[in-house]
Amino acid sequence: MDQLKFIIRRLLYLVVMLLGVATLVFILTKLIPGDPTVANLSQRALNDPKIVAAYKARYGLDKSYPVQYLLYIRNLLQLDLGTSIRTNHPVLEELGRCYPATIELALFAIVIASVFGILFGIISAIKRNSILDQAVRAISVTGVSIPSFWFALLVLYFFYYKLHIFPGPGRLSTNFSAPATVTGMYVIDSLIEGNIPKALDALSHLILPGCVLAAFTMGLITRTTRSNLLDVMSTDYIRTAKAKGLSGTKIILHHALGNALIPVLTVIGLGLGNLLGGMVLVETIFNWPGVGQFAYESVMSADFPSIIGVALLIALNYMVINTVVDILYGIIDPRVRCS
Amino acid sequence: MKKKLLAVALSFAMVLGLAACGNSDSGSATNNNGNNGTTAESGDNGSAEGNTVVLAMGAGFSTLDPGYVYEKYPPLIVNACYENLFKFMDNESAAEPWLAESYEFSEDNLTLTVKLKENVTFASGNPMTSADVLFSINRCKNLQGNPSFICDTIESMEAPDDYTVVFHLTQPDSAILSKLTYSSLAVLDSKVVKENGGTDAADASTTDTAQAYLDTTSAGSGMYVMTSYKPDEEVVLEKNENYWGEGTNVDKYIIRIQPDANAQMMTLSTGDIDVAMNLTDDTMSELKDTENVEILNSASKTVGFVMMNMNEQYGGPVSDPKVQQAIRLAIDYAGVQTICGEGTLTPYSLIQSGFMGSKDPRPTDYTDVEKAKELLTDAGYPDGFDIDMTVSDLDMEGVLLTDLAQKIKDDLAQVNINVNIVTQAWAAGYGDAYRDGTLGFTVMYWGTDYNDPNVQLEFLPGQSVGLRAGWTAEMDPELAPLYQKAMEATEDDARIAVLEEIQDKTYESGPFIMIAQAPAHIAYNTRLEGVAISDPYAMDLTLINVK
Repeated sequence: MDQLKFIIRRLLYLVVMLLGVATLVFILTKLIPGDPTVANLSQRALNDPKIVAAYKARYGLDKSYPVQYLLYIRNLLQLDLGTSIRTNHPVLEELGRCYPATIELALFAIVIASVFGILFGIISAIKRNSILDQAVRAISVTGVSIPSFWFALLVLYFFYYKLHIFPGPGRLSTNFSAPATVTGMYVIDSLIEGNIPKALDALSHLILPGCVLAAFTMGLITRTTRSNLLDVMSTDYIRTAKAKGLSGTKIILHHALGNALIPVLTVIGLGLGNLLGGMVLVETIFNWPGVGQFAYESVMSADFPSIIGVALLIALNYMVINTVVDILYGIIDPRVRCS
Repeated sequence: MKKKLLAVALSFAMVLGLAACGNSDSGSATNNNGNNGTTAESGDNGSAEGNTVVLAMGAGFSTLDPGYVYEKYPPLIVNACYENLFKFMDNESAAEPWLAESYEFSEDNLTLTVKLKENVTFASGNPMTSADVLFSINRCKNLQGNPSFICDTIESMEAPDDYTVVFHLTQPDSAILSKLTYSSLAVLDSKVVKENGGTDAADASTTDTAQAYLDTTSAGSGMYVMTSYKPDEEVVLEKNENYWGEGTNVDKYIIRIQPDANAQMMTLSTGDIDVAMNLTDDTMSELKDTENVEILNSASKTVGFVMMNMNEQYGGPVSDPKVQQAIRLAIDYAGVQTICGEGTLTPYSLIQSGFMGSKDPRPTDYTDVEKAKELLTDAGYPDGFDIDMTVSDLDMEGVLLTDLAQKIKDDLAQVNINVNIVTQAWAAGYGDAYRDGTLGFTVMYWGTDYNDPNVQLEFLPGQSVGLRAGWTAEMDPELAPLYQKAMEATEDDARIAVLEEIQDKTYESGPFIMIAQAPAHIAYNTRLEGVAISDPYAMDLTLINVK
């Protein structure tokens, strides 16, 4: 029951927060310099007042800011995010087109980051100050500090261009057509189609961009897991467990890891939120038609409805993820549930 | 427990490995012999019996509705799926009749009568008639989109019969045939477009809803039909089974929107794509020794220029004609060409090389620093001066305008002109200032709208670009009337004469210095033939065959 109240309360916060984000982003887009008419009409068209007037009328840019705002909020409450100034298609439709690609990549990246991050963190903590620990720490620092666009070019150059181990940019090889859209995630949709080779092809296209995106979060997870595990390992109840004669592995997996993983969960949640917001440069290099590319093109075109749409999506990502993380806290640690 | 952990890690690695192997198996059909995409042995892309060509091009467009298309790449697709009354068969020739059987101008050049071919059918099977031509051109005009200005000199049209269209012009227009080749004036299957929300009514800008339909498929008479368009991802064209003319042996085009030049270079080298459309100078040099890859470099008609405002209020010292000439002499044109890359040209003056009537390029040894210093002294600036140069965040075919501004700054430092570069985003102030004519000193570029030298007439005093430099018609009463003269010169000889006169008059004077015609870089797999750079269409897909 408490858990249900908690979720309902969170959902109410969510609505209020989204309206706040929409208002804030609307005001910001109007404050910053940037004219969608100049950004989207050609030099020739800008000379023609008739074309400029028709353009402004088409997107409601001829109305005053308060009227534009009220119309926007009214439409938003009806789940209408408006029409993209750049593409002339509904923003919700555009987000629906590019978000699954980002979700697929982000989930793949976060799985890699979590599995290897936690594994490396445990190894590093168990083998504290050994050569293995130093090596893992070096990898995690590199992952955190390497610029993702450069890393993306590097892995593409070696693993695709030189060694031909992994496929190049794009979501599928050219000898496969896109699967019929069910979820928009090619691996799952290919499996739904029953086409295993296509699903494997789609999965193989996730590897390079997924690893590039995972590098940063994996570094953070490794470091957080290591430091928390070391903290927990020095507590009294672990000493007691050792005194009882339990094996090292049993102590770590059954007694220490659960507590050490709570902060790691936060890092994973934040990392996923970050990835779901889209990574412009990596998406561009890997020709991945996700939210990052869409956001970039929208900003370059001063496409305000799309910019607000992306901002709302990112806010929604973080809020949903934080809610899920809070619920998971309760599952991992009953003390959190009680409080 | 250690074993369990190891097992989990190994399982994960196996999934990744399996996925990688899965791809390399399917990819091997395309990679081993460089004949990528011709067959789909392990895939399902429907090309098992035919030739598929994969092409990568840049981004920067958001619709393929001919009524709205304006940017660089959409004409490549529109030209393959739709057809126009006239067409450029190659980069050198003039516009030739295509859907038109013949044409005739009236004595006063105010009426153009076009007879249509009678055997043309759209992909839907509907026959093409004059009603389709009227609908398409009126729709473009009334949508009030970016390309609507192309119809400015078309006052009205009529269709006396199913295969005749009469254009009534507002004035003689020497570029009208070139304009009719433009993708926005492609002939649409009016029946299909109307069924899907299209209208050519005067209020089409608010009532036409066909864009959503035309962004998913095409409705033309071209050699190909667009079967899929995923914005920012790819466009798929498949052979039009009802094509009325003779086709090529390419059955399918997969056009990837892949803006990164490095990714294009790598995918071309590995055989994943057949044509890379927007490479940079660096990536071209990486491809030079690649087997099965042919490289094309040539100057495009996109031109970079220095603009010096004639209005002293904005231009300050650069509004002085002597200072303008000094700057023209101080620029190191060879250095500018190096920055822009192989294939760059410096046009003679306002008309780009390659256009009808264009003169030979400006010699790179035109630079004369000593003479520039003398001119500055004559103008009252023996010690030079300080000036701001405002530059936008745009690039000209991959060459950053800020890089060009830096080069100009270095060159002008040789004659003691101290340039302070001020960068400003195009959409955040620069565009407005440029349009309003309040920029004093800048580097900008101009891409041609339609493939005709008349697009450059806008740079003349009193015209839209001329006015951005504060250059009014009254300031140059000899040059300004040449605009009308060139517009009305429908005979080639007369046209060339007036275009040459314009170039001579702006070679050493005026507020514009044309510093570079940007290069176009294309590389392709040698299994193809007929690949060529096209100014009007970026590349004409209807001319490409697989060897």
